[in-house]
Amino acid sequence: MTSIRARLLIALLSLVACASLLAGALTYRRVLAETSTLFDYQLRQMALSLRSQVSLAPRIELPPDQGDAEFVIQIWDLFGARVYLSRPGLPMINRAVLGYDNETLQGEVWRVYGLQTVDGVIQIAQPLRVRAALARTAALRVVIPLLLLLPLLGAAIAWVVRGSLMPLQRVAAEVQRRDAHSLAPIATVPMPLEIAPLIDALNRLLLRLQAAFATQQAFVADAAHELRSPLTAVRLQLQLLDRAPDQAARFQARAALGAAVERAIHLVEQLLTLARNEPRASDAELALVALDTCAADAIGDCHALAVARGIELSLDAQPGIMIHGDPDALRALVRNLVDNAVRYTPRGGAVRVRCSSTAEAALLEIIDSGPGIPAAERERAFDRFYRRASAPEEGSGLGLAIVKAIAERHGARVSLADAAGGGLHVSVNFPRRS
Amino acid sequence: MRVLLVEDDRMIAQGLQTALRQDGYTVDWMGDGRSAAAALHASRFDLVLLDLGLPERDGLEVLRELRRRGDATPVIILTARDDMEDRIQGLDAGADDYIVKPFDLDEVGARMRSVLRRANGRGDPCIRVGGICLNPATRVVERDGAPVALSAHEYAVLEALLQRPGAILSRTQLEDRLYGWGAQVESNAIEVYIHSLRRKLGSEAIRTQRGVGYFVPKE
Repeated sequence: MTSIRARLLIALLSLVACASLLAGALTYRRVLAETSTLFDYQLRQMALSLRSQVSLAPRIELPPDQGDAEFVIQIWDLFGARVYLSRPGLPMINRAVLGYDNETLQGEVWRVYGLQTVDGVIQIAQPLRVRAALARTAALRVVIPLLLLLPLLGAAIAWVVRGSLMPLQRVAAEVQRRDAHSLAPIATVPMPLEIAPLIDALNRLLLRLQAAFATQQAFVADAAHELRSPLTAVRLQLQLLDRAPDQAARFQARAALGAAVERAIHLVEQLLTLARNEPRASDAELALVALDTCAADAIGDCHALAVARGIELSLDAQPGIMIHGDPDALRALVRNLVDNAVRYTPRGGAVRVRCSSTAEAALLEIIDSGPGIPAAERERAFDRFYRRASAPEEGSGLGLAIVKAIAERHGARVSLADAAGGGLHVSVNFPRRS
Repeated sequence: MRVLLVEDDRMIAQGLQTALRQDGYTVDWMGDGRSAAAALHASRFDLVLLDLGLPERDGLEVLRELRRRGDATPVIILTARDDMEDRIQGLDAGADDYIVKPFDLDEVGARMRSVLRRANGRGDPCIRVGGICLNPATRVVERDGAPVALSAHEYAVLEALLQRPGAILSRTQLEDRLYGWGAQVESNAIEVYIHSLRRKLGSEAIRTQRGVGYFVPKE
């Protein structure tokens, strides 16, 4: 875990330290350059003033300089003999150079200026060390106060950063208070520009979560409610079986009990299918699926029912239509549509399944010769547990809801229309992925 | 005892009809709210078992209309709606009892008897008139303490007459109690049952009001 506070603190303090060091270095260089010019000028001035003295009284003995070694003066006569050395104890350059020059002597660099006079040569030398020391002192005078300020700066930065991060902490505390039962949006009291988008995003997420929880709760409530009917039937038949007065009644009650149990199982299976195909409920990989094979399998599932009801069931499929999908879900989709069609179509009717394909889409159609669904009811027909008043028998009321959920998972569109000869024409349009 | 069963779930309706017939009730079944309202308009029932979530018209609406007409026929709501609000609403709309699915058949039977008892202004679970005692829960009839064996139809006729002693029931009214719609009724069936009841309970147990019908004399 990285702390923004620590990072800011370290980064800002290092920057300040670097800046002060840089300032020090620059000051050192500038002061060095300036003192060099100044001292060079001074050397020349000294030499010039000595020349006038020496020429006025050529043999005057100058007293040896007792001070520090900042300057060393040497004077030679015209014959090259040294007539004066200001610091006799020091090892000295034994060479007269005219103009400015740097000389190294016993590890020390000297700045030397030589001047030709009528009587000989005057030479003044100064160790460069003196200049460097001056520059160093100047530089330190700049750097040291800055470095001394560092802890103070650090505290100030910490304080500012803390204040700036305060809203973030408030948001964190607010988010912490949220759970499945209180998903209220976070108050958008004036927030810094940088945090406002985070809150917006969080609030959008909370709203989506709220909606998802509400849907889930409604689903569970609906499911529990819907399970009551088949369970009531099961309990009823079980009690009838217990109190059956004779063999015939017992036989009838047992058959009815079996049917009631089947109905409860069917409802639970349909609920599971629906739950599995709820948006983002499953992250099963979509594979390439042959639509015609899916349709054929689903028709196989419904075959017995169609035979029992005297419905002619047919498949007209263009072979090899491949779509991206979940094979089990697609089979459930076709099965629910065919099952509905078979149940609503009167005896002797026909249910046709067609699979076709164009460049843009794969198309699955189920056409029956039943009563159809009035246009006004078509929208509601997809609601879960919606049953038409004229339902021929107890269905789960989930068929079309499942179809819609599966279609949406596959990016497909389901539409209901009147069939050419009456009846219902269901189309499922799977757009090709670009 | 004639019961109107209003239930849209075919499976539950069939099971309930079987159970109620076994208990000696005459049952008519309606699968939607509109035909239930029509049936309540056309015929008299001793009791109505009413589901709420019905196609065409909601059960509560049917109940309210019944009560608005001043019809006091006992109504028991049989529904999957188990919220407290729904129960209160149902009872306040005029229901005599409220049973939530999945229900227990024995409990439904007991509640039906209890509602019928109160509808006839009785507290005693047994109906006692003269020396005759009829227990609707056990369907046992006693005459002066000794059990009397009755056929289902005889029992039904006696029960109908005992509900309101002194009140005269016509042959048609008795037939209505005994048979639901579409049942074949022998023209002299009621006379046959009355005759056999008099033989078992004494000739004075049931009186005939010539040209009007039959009654059990009040004590």
